[in-house]
Amino acid sequence: MSGSRIHWAWFAIIGLTLVALGFRDRLDWLMTFPTAWEIPFTDWLNTVMAAIIATFGPFFRGFSALMDHPMSWVRTVLQTVPWALTIGLLMLASYAVSGVRLVIFTFFAMFYMVLIGYWSESMNSLALVLISVPMAVMIGFAVGTAAFYSDRADRIISPTMDVLQTIPVFAYLLPILLLFGFGPVVGLIASVLYAVPPMVRNTTLGLRRVNEEVIEAGMMAGATATQMFWRVRVPNALRQILLGINQTMMAAFSMIIIASIIGGTSDIGWEVLTQIRKANVAEAILAGIVIALMAMVMDRLTAQAATARAPDGGDEPGFAERNRYWIAAGILTIVILALAQFFPFLKSYPEAWEFYPAQAMNDAFNYVLVEYAAAIKTIKTFALFYIMLPVKSGLEQTISPFSWGFEFTTPMKIGFAVVMTGIVAYAALRGRMNLAIGIALAAILLYFGITRLPWLSVAAVMVLLALQAGGTRLAIGTGLGLVFLMVAGVWPETMVSFYLCGIAVLLSFAIGTTLGVLASENDTVSAFLRPINDTLQTMPLFVILIPFVMFFKLGDFTALLAIMAYSIVPAIRYAEHGLRGVSPQVIEAARACGCTRMQMLWQVRLPLALPQLMLGLNQTIMFGVAMLVITALVGTSDLGQEIYIGLNNGDFGVGMVAGIGMAILAMIADRMTKAYSRKGQAALGQA
Amino acid sequence: MKAKSLISAAVLAIAGSGMAQAESSDPIRIPINEWTGQHISAHITGTLFKKAGYDVEYVTAGAVPQFAAIAQGDLDLQPEVWTNNVGDIYPKAVESGDIVVLGQLGLQPQEGWIFPPYMKEKCPGLPSYDALYECAEAFAAADTFPKGRLITYPADWGTRSKDVVGMIELPFEPVAGGSEGAMIAEAKSAVATGDPILMMFWQPHWLFADMEMEWVAWDAAGGECVEESGQERGKACGFQQASIDKIANKDFAADYPGASAIFEAMSLDNSVQNALMLEIDQKGRALEEVVAEWIDANEATWKPWVDAGLAAK
Repeated sequence: MSGSRIHWAWFAIIGLTLVALGFRDRLDWLMTFPTAWEIPFTDWLNTVMAAIIATFGPFFRGFSALMDHPMSWVRTVLQTVPWALTIGLLMLASYAVSGVRLVIFTFFAMFYMVLIGYWSESMNSLALVLISVPMAVMIGFAVGTAAFYSDRADRIISPTMDVLQTIPVFAYLLPILLLFGFGPVVGLIASVLYAVPPMVRNTTLGLRRVNEEVIEAGMMAGATATQMFWRVRVPNALRQILLGINQTMMAAFSMIIIASIIGGTSDIGWEVLTQIRKANVAEAILAGIVIALMAMVMDRLTAQAATARAPDGGDEPGFAERNRYWIAAGILTIVILALAQFFPFLKSYPEAWEFYPAQAMNDAFNYVLVEYAAAIKTIKTFALFYIMLPVKSGLEQTISPFSWGFEFTTPMKIGFAVVMTGIVAYAALRGRMNLAIGIALAAILLYFGITRLPWLSVAAVMVLLALQAGGTRLAIGTGLGLVFLMVAGVWPETMVSFYLCGIAVLLSFAIGTTLGVLASENDTVSAFLRPINDTLQTMPLFVILIPFVMFFKLGDFTALLAIMAYSIVPAIRYAEHGLRGVSPQVIEAARACGCTRMQMLWQVRLPLALPQLMLGLNQTIMFGVAMLVITALVGTSDLGQEIYIGLNNGDFGVGMVAGIGMAILAMIADRMTKAYSRKGQAALGQA
Repeated sequence: MKAKSLISAAVLAIAGSGMAQAESSDPIRIPINEWTGQHISAHITGTLFKKAGYDVEYVTAGAVPQFAAIAQGDLDLQPEVWTNNVGDIYPKAVESGDIVVLGQLGLQPQEGWIFPPYMKEKCPGLPSYDALYECAEAFAAADTFPKGRLITYPADWGTRSKDVVGMIELPFEPVAGGSEGAMIAEAKSAVATGDPILMMFWQPHWLFADMEMEWVAWDAAGGECVEESGQERGKACGFQQASIDKIANKDFAADYPGASAIFEAMSLDNSVQNALMLEIDQKGRALEEVVAEWIDANEATWKPWVDAGLAAK
């Protein structure tokens, strides 16, 4: 479609929407999707699932029994080894891969678990991760490589990964419980399923981004296909693949809590859940920190181990030299085991020596809650009245003497319409058609609110956006996805999800990218942000929900904050990673041309980092959608809530439809960001 | 670490004495949910089974997944199922015959709307529900004004409060509680800051040991409410009371006839749970210790149950 024709299509949609809104009181089917047109997907899904369970149940049960062995084996080992030895070996490993600073960090992080008395629970959780991460990394690497070599495979793999990352485990919890039986293995399967996608994505991206010249050099050297892969492509893609392992590890740690909900082991996630159920803020945070610390130690260890490999060549070192860390580990083991015979506290830490500051923390928390009650209320009210409610239900509904301090009278409404029309007309006359269309849509959205727009208009806008971004195929895909949401009967919930996630993603991406830019320029900022990112990503978000509820009460604002707390992390990470990856030669060249700092950022570094920034946006959206299911715990009425309703009613179909709905939302947003990213790159001549 | 030791015992299996020949030699698997009252019921049940010579294994399990597990026989029984906070998954499993209800535990639950005493100053007619019509604004929040804000059970527990509000035309906006933790967080926050709160809740619950709360009173005397539908202002009875069931897998009685007889015979009332909960949650004592103490002191109570079990073996 040519530029001018698509503009006419936009204006037609805007015009028709306004006409439809004019008749909204009389034409009910315009506003709410008619129930008569719905299709009983839930019943179909239930039937199919029942058949699958009946047919394949024994097979899965067998797999489950098989997996039980390594799991209980690892758990037993971690439980039997004295805490002093585990910590000692981890410190030695830290020293081997990095240095004294990591040793100190490892010691304090691990000793924290001993000190507050959660060692045994922590080791049960660690066992889950130690089994699931290698599984996820191996599967992810293989699948990611397949996606790299075959475009056809990629077309199946890429959406499957989106689905795995966006359909919440709760949506398919019942079937996996029925298939695999109750127990820790179900938690393992859930965490592998969730932890695989980042590995796949980063493997594919890394392999794709290997420099053409390096490949040619490899070819000239006469490398075979296998050599080419293992000696040329993989080492060159290692940075990205490592990021993948890192993200997979983090994802596995974030599933600890879900594994606990399923149940079967008394691990740290269970402890968190118990405390959250009692709304014990400090106790839940103290337990949640354990998961975050454990994740950080493992993250640092693996990342350092992979980058700090000894250089090849030079003198062949002797046996003792090559194996010095193994020998040290052996000696350490014997020494600590011997010492533990004489000092039993090295084996089981006495309860009397534990330190558990929950009471003081709760008191401090309550003090803030009471002292700053007025300020907290102001923040919440402001966000609610001026940002969230206008987007959700429109200015028309929001403005009242109670909220904005005045009545939204008819002259004001007319004034709003006239001013907006004026701005749109001015932009259109200046030839800025896209700007004009954007302002017109934003004005309609703000006036009526996203949940009160005709379903047909919302769908048409999204399809047209898809058409503009990625052409006919994307438009058709988007259209089909939206039709599913309508006929499945979850359109109202979808709109609430869309509004919550939309605001959260926009804010997270804006704030997160800014922080990422700062972090890429300043190592101190980077070092400061990293543990915060790690904590946010690995500390179970259930933990954050409770203090948020105490500060801001049940409702959409709390949900928004919870989504942002989680989805801001990839925005920061990918922005920093992308900007730091910009080739130093380019920077040097730009500096030689006399670029100012701002020019350097906006015209050199950001455009060059665009692929990572867009991957960051992509992941921000994915994380945001993933959080929707958690926010249902603070009482939102979105797709996440449907999943709990399905779960609690033992109705697989209801939860699955909502889960698919989330995946559709996420995928549409994802494909559009990717398409716009390609357009942007093409415009910049990178392609 | 108060709650710790009980959790670390969750994977603990105690060897049977061998003096009695259990019919199935597998340990009986009892789920441990996320709240103390259930820990007490589960551990008392388990201890009685051990007295009759059975192996017992405590397994942590979420409140919803446990039903799938019990229906499939991965877990054997659950002494404390609250019918108010579980959706259709439980009645469905009972209907299909995979889960059998073996009677009620004996706890006397109460459900209804609660408010902190300081709300009486802002709304003088309380505790009568009739007063709520006049002082909805005293219960209002920014997003519900001028209507009052009523926190209901989470959406997946059903819509009973919302239905009652609709039937008696109360000017209140029902806000879904999301989850038990979030509801308690609301209550804690409100009581700390003196904010208004009206919330659907239930007892026995440790919350009432932690903070003062009062119940909204309905027209029907004594909170009797047989039928929740068809209420109106002037003839409002509030809520039908939940029941607390003892359930087991359909094969439990055949596999462990003795344990099944104990399980059917046993019953615990509010006073037992409240007393033990106080020891554990407020005084920070270990669950096993408190349960063992109760067992030692109340042999007269549980001896007949265990005897019934030994007779059935």
